[in-house]
Amino acid sequence: MNIVSAIILTAALLMIIAGMFCLVRTYNLIRIIIAIELAMKAITLLLVFSGWVNGNLALAQTFVITMIVLEVIVAVVAAGIIVSLYRKNGNVDIRELTNLKG
Amino acid sequence: MQQFFIVLCLVLMVLAGGAAVMFRSMLKSSISLAVASALLAAVLFLMGAYWASIFELSVCSGLITVVFVSAVSLTNTDRCSEVRVREHKARVAVLPAILIFAGAALLFILFNSDFNIVASATPASFSAFKEALWSLRQADILGQIIVILAGTFAVIVLFKERDNI
Amino acid sequence: MITFATISFLGLPLLAILLLNIVRKETGGTISINIGFVVSIIQMIAAVVCLSLLWLHGKDFIEFSLFWDMNATLGSARFSVDLFSLVVLFCIGMVSLASLLTAKKTIGAKALNYTNLLMVIMLGMNGIAVVTDLFSLYVFLEITGIASFVMIALLHDKRGLEGAFKYLVMSAIASALILGSLALIFTQTGSLVYGDVANALADWRNAQYAPLLVVAFVAFIAGFSIKAGIAPFHGWLPDAYQSAPASVSVLLGGIVTKMAGVYAIIRVLNSVFVSMPMINQTLLILGLISIVFGAVAACGQRDFKRILAYSSISQIGYIIIGIASGSLLGFVGAMLHFFNHATFKTTLFVNSAAVEAQTGTTDIDQLGGLQARMPVTAVSSILAFLSMAGIPPLAGFWSKLLIIIAVWQSASVAGGAIALAASIFTAAYFLILQRKVFFGPLEDHLTEITEAKGTISLAAVLLSIVTVAFGVLFPVILNFLHLQGIL
Repeated sequence: MNIVSAIILTAALLMIIAGMFCLVRTYNLIRIIIAIELAMKAITLLLVFSGWVNGNLALAQTFVITMIVLEVIVAVVAAGIIVSLYRKNGNVDIRELTNLKG
Repeated sequence: MQQFFIVLCLVLMVLAGGAAVMFRSMLKSSISLAVASALLAAVLFLMGAYWASIFELSVCSGLITVVFVSAVSLTNTDRCSEVRVREHKARVAVLPAILIFAGAALLFILFNSDFNIVASATPASFSAFKEALWSLRQADILGQIIVILAGTFAVIVLFKERDNI
Repeated sequence: MITFATISFLGLPLLAILLLNIVRKETGGTISINIGFVVSIIQMIAAVVCLSLLWLHGKDFIEFSLFWDMNATLGSARFSVDLFSLVVLFCIGMVSLASLLTAKKTIGAKALNYTNLLMVIMLGMNGIAVVTDLFSLYVFLEITGIASFVMIALLHDKRGLEGAFKYLVMSAIASALILGSLALIFTQTGSLVYGDVANALADWRNAQYAPLLVVAFVAFIAGFSIKAGIAPFHGWLPDAYQSAPASVSVLLGGIVTKMAGVYAIIRVLNSVFVSMPMINQTLLILGLISIVFGAVAACGQRDFKRILAYSSISQIGYIIIGIASGSLLGFVGAMLHFFNHATFKTTLFVNSAAVEAQTGTTDIDQLGGLQARMPVTAVSSILAFLSMAGIPPLAGFWSKLLIIIAVWQSASVAGGAIALAASIFTAAYFLILQRKVFFGPLEDHLTEITEAKGTISLAAVLLSIVTVAFGVLFPVILNFLHLQGIL
């Protein structure tokens, strides 16, 4: 297996692991969004990698651009919800989110 | 030589990503994320994806960092990132452990098969990119317009109208 | 005619957004709801028109595009509607109408924002129904998701924001999984158009990047299971349904999660991952877990909307095992149960909205004896629950029967037996809910309660008529299936 491809795949995997680790490790709502962003970086890399491998880099780039636009809107919505929650709760701690229990 | 730079940038990107996880300060975390994003943009550029690289650099590394920094400053929570490790050591370790194990197994299989991945791409010319975007992906462009509308309404609902209840 | 009907699915909501934001904000409230009525009714009419045109011309699908020439290019530019997407588009129109009828009474000052977001969410769901490309599918999934987060948080209350945040995080993880799997599939296929991917993956075991494809399939199923709220991945669903404003719960429970998860799974299994028994087996097991878990968990809940949310998990399981059986009968059963679930679950959420509007709570311990006070709500909820529990001759009985026969015949007898046995739990939580809310002695503090007037009752009555009529007329469909040799 080509060494650069192997390193790219490994790097993507490490970024996803870092994101997931961050997700389960923190109490801070903003850091949860940072974790998701980290995983999305890995996905971006994978998308360009796939285009790089099969020779269809132009198409892969259009995917990445659309994905980035969606990613930004999700980040903005998430930030909006967090700021609103902060106005209600006075902090951004996930342990405060216990109003919904079954 | 180009391959060496790709590998170098990837290593630095993973380090920056790790830093974003480990920093106690939210501000430093956001900035590490921006650095990781910028390094990813460099990797994309070296792989020949010039336009994706520009978007990654300006939007992800720029705009998203601005969003995060404003969120951090609006909530005054720069240093309140308590860490769960101390309370649930076992639970916190499980998911990353599974992922690391699965990833290692996958890489082991990949390295030991006659599975071969070689880059066959040359850097995409602008005309090829333009062709792909405007004459193959109209549905996605329509989707982008709709999602920007959705983002506008989201900002109106979440930021503008905060008076009642 | 046909061009107008097909274009209206995506063009009309866009036009409506334009109109909504031209009117002055002070007078915008009622006008915006009325514009919403027009859009959803036209969508239902357009779906029926397209269905009859398909029938007349004997075609399997109609292809169309929006502002561009679809014959000039290949790729994602081409939308397409077939029988299943038209049924689904009709459901979208119907549930949006019910949601608007509920909103007219309950939404108050947020009417303009609500209608704007409803139009965006309709665009997203219609897009999911008509696209022919995996990446475009992801784009419209994300649009639907973003609009639903904001709608859940529409009232800006603590619970709404919390439910929205949980949904957002789970949805973002699901998107990352789906997109990662698309990247790996794209490595092999070089295109993400349904037909191309299906061709390229026909012999995937011998494909060049087969190990990557296995990872891709696992991530794909996990991602869509989160979006659909199938049992091990269901965590966010009850919270989101419970915390949303009443009219938004109607929309979420009636159609949104079914579009984002179930429809996408069915579409992908039918047109992309054709003949992959591995994926069908996995989904069959997940579906059965969902059926049993959802029904058992619903028995232990104390909140009207939460019981409905868990029952959604259970009913979605039936749709999933129907499609996972892999036979044509299973597909037809899944499609009909999709329609039936949209009808009776919307009825129930409209009922919960009526109860919430009149009594101010959805906690079933504080309710009781409402049957005498709210007869329309009580009767329509009993009809909907009987349909859901599979009591003949209501609509839910027939579709469940078809699904169980299909699973029994083509997948596994044990699976069919489990699905059949789980129906008993449906009856159990139905009885718990009815006894606590509508039957029994009237609670003292509820003596002043009256029936929810106007549009909420209208929505409940209309949907009940659909449930009963569809059930009574169902033998016609069975006869048709028999003539086609499916049954």
